[in-house]
Amino acid sequence: MLLEARGIVKAFGAFHAVAGADLLLEESELIGLIGPNGAGKSTFFNCLSGDARPTAGTIRFRGTEVTALPPAAHARLGLARTFQVPIVFDTMTVRENVMVGAFLRHPHRRAAAAKADEVLAFTGLAEQANLPATALGTPGRKRLEIARALATEPVLLLLDEALAGLPSAEVEAAIDLVRRIHESGVTLIVVEHIMEVIHRLTRRVLVFHQGRVIAEGTPAEVTADPAVITAYLGRRAHK
Amino acid sequence: MRLSRAWPAALLLVLVASPFFSFNPFYQRVAALVALAAISASAWNVIGGYAGQVSFGHSVYFGVGAYAALLVFTKLGLPPIAGAPLGILASLAISVIAGLPTFRLHGHYFSMATFAIAALAELLIINWNFAGGAIGMMGPATARSPADLLFRSALPYYAIFLAVLAVLLWLTHRMQRSRMGFYLRAIGAGERAAQSLGVPIRRYKLYALLLSGAFTALAGSLYAVMIGFIDPDSGFGVLISVNMVVMAALGGAGTLFGPLVGAVILVPLSEASNAILGGGSSGAAYVAYGVIIMLIARFCPGGLAEWWRVLTRTRRRRAA
Repeated sequence: MLLEARGIVKAFGAFHAVAGADLLLEESELIGLIGPNGAGKSTFFNCLSGDARPTAGTIRFRGTEVTALPPAAHARLGLARTFQVPIVFDTMTVRENVMVGAFLRHPHRRAAAAKADEVLAFTGLAEQANLPATALGTPGRKRLEIARALATEPVLLLLDEALAGLPSAEVEAAIDLVRRIHESGVTLIVVEHIMEVIHRLTRRVLVFHQGRVIAEGTPAEVTADPAVITAYLGRRAHK
Repeated sequence: MRLSRAWPAALLLVLVASPFFSFNPFYQRVAALVALAAISASAWNVIGGYAGQVSFGHSVYFGVGAYAALLVFTKLGLPPIAGAPLGILASLAISVIAGLPTFRLHGHYFSMATFAIAALAELLIINWNFAGGAIGMMGPATARSPADLLFRSALPYYAIFLAVLAVLLWLTHRMQRSRMGFYLRAIGAGERAAQSLGVPIRRYKLYALLLSGAFTALAGSLYAVMIGFIDPDSGFGVLISVNMVVMAALGGAGTLFGPLVGAVILVPLSEASNAILGGGSSGAAYVAYGVIIMLIARFCPGGLAEWWRVLTRTRRRRAA
């Protein structure tokens, strides 16, 4: 088992953003995490990456208990993530952004730069390498975040709405990128709003609603699940 | 592109060498003070510029260095410069004690906390009679040995300060190109993202503060050696910290030569205003700094370095 999260609760005062969620993940899987706005997906994500400390529950990653460890320790163990709203280093060039990630496994500048260039080529950002990161638009920034995370050479990559808000041409390129990352041997958890993307990317989906996993299965199974339909669309008015 | 790099370098070289060929004592003195201010501003730049942790409390390091120098002289009869290592040691301890709790704070809150620590330190020194209380301490009146580093001309001080500055800038340059430089800039640009990429934030902030504080303390010791007098205001005063911040911000915080450029512009200005308006014009300095801070914040947040980059870039584009 690569990642094992059991009974995760994250409470903010009386509000339980995550109210007892489990997730078991095998190596080289690619799973989707969906759910309506405010379902607790991002909070659950933050618990997995160490950005938020769960109120209750345990998380084990590659056999190590990581529940209370800081994000940097997760990164060192091989867990990388992107953010829903990209946080790129505005004061740096695109290559320098990626080098920050590469320095994790390559302490020397030259090796880090070589790793960064390799990742930039893989993610299709090679041509923008020397531009300031501020020159990138939203699609570029999302791509840069993925590149930076890949440069840490993760075993597991968490993508938080990496495709949301992209123009349709960019969505195709992004789906292709996610597939290639998966083929390169990285395990992925993808949080996404767009059902179509989930359909095309994954064979296993978890549906979040009110802090709980309410359904699990193939995309076709969960979209046919009455509980899921109710969660997204609400109950019919008539009986 | 080569021209745009060669020009400032040549200009800098001429400026650096000029005091040695000038026989004007005022000019030499100002040059020494510029070099000294450049040391503390460049030291501040490591944590305040690269790592983006804007400290308004660096006067504590400066004061500790300055007081260490004159304490070893008045209490032990040693040459003041012998206090420099003690000042540096004390600065390292302060970095650990003050840094670890304040690093939990972000942005303005961090700045306010460092400001509060500095204000507290000044109060403590005023009431510490062993170290001269509110009156302060004097250095040696006449040189008992060459180790007292007492010179009539400002030129030897200039040479010493320049050497220290060169070492600091060389270290900063090395750091800038290394993992530490990248990590500090990442912390300054976005702590959350930096953390997610495996940057141990608090550890690197501490490294930066240790380096920054040590060189600021050394600058304080050198100041005491040259001036031969220290009191709570000239060692721990608010203006000491503000000076470093404004110089770095004016020249370009987070750039190698930015703080030096800031010092080259601001120190002669304040020395000239002192000479014209008389010694009691520190009020005028506050007003001037206020205006400069507002102008930088409004028109040029990256300092002159950013302005220079934009200028050379457009010129290059036009040439192409």
